[in-house]
Amino acid sequence: MPYWYYDKKDLLNTPSFRDGILNEAENRYRKEGARFIIDTGSKMDLGYNTVATGVVYFHRFYMFHSFRTFPRYITACCCLFLAGKVEETPKKCKDIIKVAKSLLTEQKFGIFGEDPKEEVMTLERILLQTIKFDLQVEHPYGYLLKYAKCLKGDKAKLQKMVQMAWTFVNDSLCTTLCLQWEPEVIAVALMFLAGKLSKFDVVDWNGRIPKHNAWWDMFVEDITMELLEDICHQVLDLYSPQTQQTGSDSPPNQPPAKQPKNEKKPSVTPPTSASPIAVVSKPVLTPIKNGADIKIEPPKVDMRFSYPAYPPLYPPMYNAPPPAIPAPRLPIPPGPPIIPYSEPPPANRFPPVNVPPPNYYAGMPARPLPPRGPIPPGPPPPRPYYPPP
Amino acid sequence: MSSSSTSPPSLNSIGDVNALFQTAKKYEELNVIGTGAYGTVYKARDLHNGGQIVAMKKVKVALTEDGIPLSTLREIALLRQLEAYRHPNIVRLLDVCHGGQSLERDQQLVLFLVFEHVEQDLESYLKRAPGPLSENRIRSMSYDILSGVDFLHSHRIVHRDLKPHNLLVTSSGRVKLADFGLAKTYDTEMKLTSVVVTLWYRPPEVLLGVSYNTAVDVWSSGCVLAQLHTRAPLLAGSCDSEQLHCIFRLIGRPAKHEWPQNVSIVVDSFPDYPPQDLADILPRVHPQALDLIKGMLVFDPAKRLTALDCLEHPYFTDHAPH
Repeated sequence: MPYWYYDKKDLLNTPSFRDGILNEAENRYRKEGARFIIDTGSKMDLGYNTVATGVVYFHRFYMFHSFRTFPRYITACCCLFLAGKVEETPKKCKDIIKVAKSLLTEQKFGIFGEDPKEEVMTLERILLQTIKFDLQVEHPYGYLLKYAKCLKGDKAKLQKMVQMAWTFVNDSLCTTLCLQWEPEVIAVALMFLAGKLSKFDVVDWNGRIPKHNAWWDMFVEDITMELLEDICHQVLDLYSPQTQQTGSDSPPNQPPAKQPKNEKKPSVTPPTSASPIAVVSKPVLTPIKNGADIKIEPPKVDMRFSYPAYPPLYPPMYNAPPPAIPAPRLPIPPGPPIIPYSEPPPANRFPPVNVPPPNYYAGMPARPLPPRGPIPPGPPPPRPYYPPP
Repeated sequence: MSSSSTSPPSLNSIGDVNALFQTAKKYEELNVIGTGAYGTVYKARDLHNGGQIVAMKKVKVALTEDGIPLSTLREIALLRQLEAYRHPNIVRLLDVCHGGQSLERDQQLVLFLVFEHVEQDLESYLKRAPGPLSENRIRSMSYDILSGVDFLHSHRIVHRDLKPHNLLVTSSGRVKLADFGLAKTYDTEMKLTSVVVTLWYRPPEVLLGVSYNTAVDVWSSGCVLAQLHTRAPLLAGSCDSEQLHCIFRLIGRPAKHEWPQNVSIVVDSFPDYPPQDLADILPRVHPQALDLIKGMLVFDPAKRLTALDCLEHPYFTDHAPH
């Protein structure tokens, strides 16, 4: 079975990076692709689950392929197309392309070529193979609601907090968090963040037992404060203007190693593109359509500008201005030359999935999760552990 | 790093997409294990995993205007999801891949479902058994089968075709269910071969062509459980109507009010067979085992035991096989 969680060092040494795309640029492409899936999905009235599934496919896809080989907007369309089918909210390929065309500049849509539908349909099989037909994806939304049900306190404040957490989960799709942590962990962290920001202090909860220090201990064991803060920062960084400055508008056709000028002086101002997709310098806060049976509404827009007003909870981790020279690259491991369309690495590169779904049959021991890479500067956080039911 | 200095290619311009995703690169086909009604199963070697032997099932999917059909994707997604539970009585699904479109513009896609390879199935296991199976072995195999069926049912999967041929027996004697979860995928394509499907494990509602549900698997399991005791099929009819005769000769012809509506065959077309005592047909079988099998071979699907009922039957709980 494929394992979809990566260490931070794996996320730096991606196929795109090995293909000469800087990490900052890749992050921007990921963010724009995710954003585009969210926008396209919302415009087509697709639910939050379908949209989130599409974005997860997108992030997973680029752990095996370079942005240089597969243009992000075509991949994004294909991910949404496939997610629609898997989540039983299918949309016709040509309709997705129609919406894509309306959202992209003519120049950006040009990459779709003469027969856009054929491009997307051809990619479907490559996408399926790349994500190893592992189509069912879980998202933090359901966990947010599950956790909220257990928390005690002022109903209105709780509701407000959950709405804010919901928005953070939406926005977290623009980060690589879904490649780092299980949805349960992300839900805990972003609810924690929303609690801090909305000043909702959880002091009591249903099911509390003496050994619990925090409400999340009830759901996921061994979550450290360092881990929570790291996850929160990754989301908060989306709202910081510094993260939007690097990378060219599209992957250069030549690796930057051959064109050092492109990367030596990252522009200081955010790119000013006419495309709605490229305008990422404002907070990326668009609610995704809620499920009909969920009362919690996505946050109202007036919340968005309040985020930067909050002082950081702790020293920001990586909001230093981009360096004048390219950051030193990780050593590239010796290996076969990178060929576009290369076969994804064998599935046994990662240990098997360690988080079993809620146990169906009794007697299945909960397996310990492998240690993850350290979050600087603290010690490596122990992996959360899911207690058997 | 400079090997990819070409401009972003148009996908259509890459004629080699299919070739690059050929499964042949990952798996080396060794020989045909079996040819079912819907496809062929190969024994193969996993070249990326130290030559591990796997069973590769080849399924042809008809592509629609919008690519791979939704039902197929849903079924594969569910199979993949089930795999995360690693249920001990379900055959492991190791990988799913496709062989590309066999021909350009050919509107079908070949899917390969890669399963763990289990050396024998229950059919050959029973054939090879030198004598009757021990009481404990029968009980543990029965429990394994019903655990697997209950697991599928709890995930809303109806197997529809349980029979010794697709129950696999591991070297340690555990039974695993195989060959399920692709019913809709099969339905949307033509049968690949004209292999005759065995009727011996079919419940009356399927033979009569009325709607059916999870209870079909309990009936089939009941037939298999009986076979574990005798090593011979319980109800070996040669055609639909003869199979019904076999069934009614055993459990008795159902009363008129039990006969389902909207069936073209009338109840009077069968002689008024009286029910037989299962103990006469399955001599020397534990009375609790007889009681369990009797509860599984009930004409009315609604009155049949469920798989969970079966697991909680005294035949198992009084002896605690696990």
